Amino acid sequence: MKRLIASFQPLFAAGILLVVLLLPILGLTPNVIRILFITFVWITASLAWNLLGGVAGQVSFGFAVFYGLGAYAAALMINAGVNPALSFVGSAAVAALASFLIGIPTFRLRGPYFAIATIGVSEAVRVVMNNISAVGGAGGLRVTERGIFHQTEHYYSGLAIAVLAVCVSLLIERSKFGLALRAIRQDEDAAADIGINPFRCKLWIHAIAAALTGVAGGVFADYAAYIHPQGVFAFSTSVTILLMPVIGGIGTIWGAVLGAAVVTIVEEQLVAVFPQVHLLLYGLLLMLIVLLEPDGLVGLLRRMLRRMHVDPSSRGPDEALWGRGRLEGREL
Amino acid sequence: MAALKDVSFSVPERHIFGIIGPNGAGKSTLFGVISGAIRASQGRVRFRGSDVTRLRSDALVHFGIARTHHIVRPFRAMTVLENVLVAVHYGRQSAKADAKAQAISALERVQLAPKARMLASALSLGEQKRLEVARALATNPDLLLLDEVCGGLSGAETRAMLDLFQQIRASGTTILYVEHDMKAVMSVCDRIAVLDFGRKLAEGTPAEIQNDPAVIDAYLGSGMLGTNSIA
Repeated sequence: MKRLIASFQPLFAAGILLVVLLLPILGLTPNVIRILFITFVWITASLAWNLLGGVAGQVSFGFAVFYGLGAYAAALMINAGVNPALSFVGSAAVAALASFLIGIPTFRLRGPYFAIATIGVSEAVRVVMNNISAVGGAGGLRVTERGIFHQTEHYYSGLAIAVLAVCVSLLIERSKFGLALRAIRQDEDAAADIGINPFRCKLWIHAIAAALTGVAGGVFADYAAYIHPQGVFAFSTSVTILLMPVIGGIGTIWGAVLGAAVVTIVEEQLVAVFPQVHLLLYGLLLMLIVLLEPDGLVGLLRRMLRRMHVDPSSRGPDEALWGRGRLEGREL
Repeated sequence: MAALKDVSFSVPERHIFGIIGPNGAGKSTLFGVISGAIRASQGRVRFRGSDVTRLRSDALVHFGIARTHHIVRPFRAMTVLENVLVAVHYGRQSAKADAKAQAISALERVQLAPKARMLASALSLGEQKRLEVARALATNPDLLLLDEVCGGLSGAETRAMLDLFQQIRASGTTILYVEHDMKAVMSVCDRIAVLDFGRKLAEGTPAEIQNDPAVIDAYLGSGMLGTNSIA
């Protein structure tokens, strides 16, 4: 039965992909397309964060830096007349470069100390960006529009980068590099004792995650047509990127995807229905999930499946680690 | 304050070299210095003519030096096979190509192959200690540093472990063995160094150590060796 479900997984993924590919043709309202587009952007960032935070166990509160730099890099390049697709590659390069500059000093710190350092770096970058008048300073940056606005084009760009992020995540999960990252998450010293260079591995996965996040920022900037430091570089951007995989199920690919979708849709709906108290409700929902289901939504689904006697042994090795009551200090 | 002072010894190739000493003698510090976990303020560690004093533990592995931990540190959320497989991938390259086959053969050497698909956290302490040895072996070392691997094991488990050491030595790997368990050290080592208060008290074959008056006075006491050589 387990094997049956496993063999259905790619089929299931292909089915979802087909549906989202065809959705714009069905004549959805622009607002729905917009929400789906934002979901794709967040899925990309969520999967990227999950590579560093979930797989390699390095919890960063600084992903807004990569998102923002990617957004600004793309905006500046598009304004200079560069083809948007090429400018997204530029976003990835700029973000990856920044990840090395940040990672080289901060990865000398471990666990909570690393997390705190990333907050500091992120805030510093935001303040600096607020004051660089060449890129608009606190006033932000307008992205030159290229002819008529085609929302579906942006929709497909978003979909493409989300699929890219899933593919990168799957590749890493199945590679020996992925195995090394899991080893580092569980015990960095023991990983070094079998020949893994934890510092170098962390730098590389940080760069890959930053590149993906940068692309997400670039695609968003191209869509939004206006970006400003208080938005893309905001601390709340870092927190959102971190919360999506936590809500969905940290360390799992489908958890990061599901978390991003749920966060985007819930946030949009809450803003629309309860404009005054949406942040309060959002926080409450978050607390409920973290308290009642530490494995996230994927953990919840797994438990429901188990209860239906469908899939008793689906608990993968990684879920056993992140699961309730097993989160040992050393791993975080 | 120095944890170790004027400790000097050399380990001959294909030997099992034991280091013993009472609590606080500096065994673990010495082990940490050799394995790259502790930076020595003075002194040198040489391996096959190369100075390896300042190398980190991952670089040492590629030099052919692997270690185990006194308190077991398996990757608990990985299967037994994955624990060893990652060591094959990132350890010193060996001539054999197939990583998985190498991992399974390392598990076979410690008799854990039947449990390859289990999570490491599901193993008993004795099995986790064997996994620790298998993981170090999987990096293809020339020198294996073993830190109190017999602590907490039953009599039968200890005997099996000591047999394993003999097999490892027979396959060409040198062993440096730090241990609290006197009987284990005496029965398996070719040479032994005794530490006390951070200094080397004596060095020699097990028989020489057992009869060394300084060792008996300072540390062992009569009857501690569990043999008849001391009245």
